[in-house]
Amino acid sequence: MMQGRPGPATKIATAAPVLRIGAVSKYFGTFKVLEDCSLEVAEGEIVTLLGPSGCGKTTLLRAIAGFWEADGGTIEIDGQEMARVPVNHRPVGVVFQSYALFPHLTVERNVGYALRMRGLPRAESEARVAAALETVSLTGFENRYPAQLSGGQQQRVAMARVLVMEPRVLLLDEPFNALDAKLRGTMQVELRQLIKRLGLTSIFVTHDQEEALTMSDRIAVMRAGRIEQVAPPDEIFDRPATAYVADFIGTSNFWAARAEAGAVRLPDGQSAVTTLTGDVRLMARPHNLRLEVGDAGPWRGRVAFHRSIGPLVEYHVDMADGATIKVAAMRQSIDRPVADGAPVSIRIVDPALCAVYPH
Amino acid sequence: MRRIRHLPLSDALGLGLIFAVAVFSLVLLVAPSLIVVMISFDTRAYVSFPPEGFTLRWYAEVFEQGELVDAMLNSLQVGLTVTLLCIVLGVPTALACVRGRFRGTTALSVFVLVPHMVPGIVLGVAVLFAGALVGVTPSIWLQSISITVFILAVMVRTVQSRLMRLDTALDEAAANLRATPFQSLRTVTLPLLMPAILAGAVFTFVEGFDNLSVAIFTHGFHDRPLPVELLALVQYTSSPLVAAVSGVQIILAIAALVAVSMSIGLDNVNE
Repeated sequence: MMQGRPGPATKIATAAPVLRIGAVSKYFGTFKVLEDCSLEVAEGEIVTLLGPSGCGKTTLLRAIAGFWEADGGTIEIDGQEMARVPVNHRPVGVVFQSYALFPHLTVERNVGYALRMRGLPRAESEARVAAALETVSLTGFENRYPAQLSGGQQQRVAMARVLVMEPRVLLLDEPFNALDAKLRGTMQVELRQLIKRLGLTSIFVTHDQEEALTMSDRIAVMRAGRIEQVAPPDEIFDRPATAYVADFIGTSNFWAARAEAGAVRLPDGQSAVTTLTGDVRLMARPHNLRLEVGDAGPWRGRVAFHRSIGPLVEYHVDMADGATIKVAAMRQSIDRPVADGAPVSIRIVDPALCAVYPH
Repeated sequence: MRRIRHLPLSDALGLGLIFAVAVFSLVLLVAPSLIVVMISFDTRAYVSFPPEGFTLRWYAEVFEQGELVDAMLNSLQVGLTVTLLCIVLGVPTALACVRGRFRGTTALSVFVLVPHMVPGIVLGVAVLFAGALVGVTPSIWLQSISITVFILAVMVRTVQSRLMRLDTALDEAAANLRATPFQSLRTVTLPLLMPAILAGAVFTFVEGFDNLSVAIFTHGFHDRPLPVELLALVQYTSSPLVAAVSGVQIILAIAALVAVSMSIGLDNVNE
């Protein structure tokens, strides 16, 4: 899932951002859908807006596309303020959740639509359509109608249709929703590689964390109209800024503790550094915990349930203090998994990767 | 039918009932036309059933009677005019009702129905007086206008229901792909509305051709449409001539439906 990425963090600092979103707000009546959202996207970067439905991610995408106006804040592309630029003049290309292909037009005419609207000479238009279809590997499908294509092919037509415009910013609104689960994984990798090859600056909207982790250079986690944290996928996963982000991305264990003098004691006897004092919440990922058979350690419990998920075995352990903790262990061919009901103790592998949040 | 035997009794009875009702309504739909067509071939000079022979005499007579041919041509002209007016007025009205961003779109879409709810005779009289006020006397034109007012709701509703089921993302996609609102209407919305417009056109043409209640007050004295002519015919004679005229109409209707289904498909019309 985490293929090598050419260090996005260093790239961001150098060039001027292509897309700059400054303190954007949007109300529906008195209900705040977007509140003070700020985000900068660098040339060629893919930033994902991730959050549950109703968090405002699609609203923000639609404001960038110009489908509706923001009530406050600025949206700039290449330094130009977009507020007064009508939808059909914005340098953005949108891939819709439903793809919104024109059902009465062939693939070729769908892809050439933007060029016809712009009144490009036929020869140039044809050449660019052919090039776009080649980019998405759909050469030979020119005369098909959208209904005659598979979901994956429709998505590629939707991509080709915006690519011919050479947009400065690509906006993707949950483009994998219409695909079946098996196809999604492959399409995600393919789409990311295509976008990276073309060097397109992109905003990608999804509620699926795995999709976000696969597709993004950076992820902006949204909650109730606000952006909670913007960071590369690994950082979001390993160092979630808030308990909400930790809970939303990946599996996490939370428990209450007390912090004193810049440190918090962990239940297994180790301690973690923190700047907080008083009541706090601790978070540890299941893979940062190790199960030890027997009750030798200070943090004890019994295995309540275990299940094998491919190469991992996930244990749910009922602790003596009443909490249920999830532990992930690599599956090993020699060891049998620890049986349900067996007494165990848990050790934290790396205390530095335990996150401490205010209570 | 074999499958029904394996069903619980209540299900079998229910399905049987639905089947019976379907057959009954099919008979109701087809029988009148069938009887009329059979009568039109009868050799006797008065309407009676069942027929006692076969002749094409009445069909020949239809085309020999100048006033019947004129009436058919008048009705054809009214039908086409009504259809044209309904498209020109109805499609923008439907667009306003569904896509309009002003207060009162709901009120408008209800108001469009009102003339269709008024009894045709009342509407006919009203249009007759209104026409007199602005100096339009009964004629093919006044008749066309009055039937348009009566049947416009059908065109609006047909187009409206199709419009409501169009994905709004299509319009957004067109706008994103550099189309102006008018270009988007011309290249995306209207082509996708075409099946509904054609379906509406079939209904409005039939009404224009066949309406009696509104037309009886608004038709031109020298340009009598077919329904008015037929009414006079059945009032004063009882020859199978009327049945033969109906036979011609049925043949024309079937030809029109076949043409529509061959060009765009009836499924598209119904959609």
